[in-house]
Amino acid sequence: MSNFFLYLGMGLFTLVFLCLYRGVFGPGVLNRIAAISAIGTKTLVILLIMGFIYHRVDMFVDISMVYALLNFIGTIAAAKYLENGGEI
Amino acid sequence: MTRVTDDIIIRAVARVIMPFIQIYALYVIMHGHHSPGGGFQGGVILGASFILYLITHGLEDAKKRMSELKAGLFSSFGLLIYSGIGLLCLIMGSNYLDYGRLSTLLKVIPAQARSLGILGVEIGVGIAVMAVMFSIFFDISTGGVVPEDEQELETGDE
Repeated sequence: MSNFFLYLGMGLFTLVFLCLYRGVFGPGVLNRIAAISAIGTKTLVILLIMGFIYHRVDMFVDISMVYALLNFIGTIAAAKYLENGGEI
Repeated sequence: MTRVTDDIIIRAVARVIMPFIQIYALYVIMHGHHSPGGGFQGGVILGASFILYLITHGLEDAKKRMSELKAGLFSSFGLLIYSGIGLLCLIMGSNYLDYGRLSTLLKVIPAQARSLGILGVEIGVGIAVMAVMFSIFFDISTGGVVPEDEQELETGDE
């Protein structure tokens, strides 16, 4: 069962790089914001999978919740920055 | 300058989610010696809740909750808690921030005194980090000029 989570994590780790490509070369800023938000969500799931691999899910849930929260606030700030051209 | 967003969904979600963020921040601070986290991390989450309020509800409403003056006072107060506990240990006759000697003052065994001492220090660090995070964001979003100062400057020029 531990191998299953390991391969799942490696698969998500590969997908992060595809999102990173969209974040670096993506046409327009909106694509970049969406890519960064998707990377944050993938990182959250990878953290939980790491918790399953190390049998310490209770520790990693705390970190992943903080990650989700900061990702949410960051996305709102970036979207609001874009909405009116340079003003948060 | 931070303006008010006119999107009702963002405002409602921020208003609902803010108390839960703060409860979670208090959990991270209080549970810091059993799980990941501690004073700094909890303070950052606590500061993030105020930053979320400032982003969604604008500068005027945020200044009623947490003004620049209050942020400065809170950061000094957190530092006072931290250094006060450290100096208390120094006065009791041990090293700076060596909480074992506080057991005579708190009337508990030294191991419990260490646990309570680190908890007090973490609360102080959490308050200071929260206030400084908000203060930095406040200064960046206003460009260092709050509206009252701007009016004073304009009238001063006339």
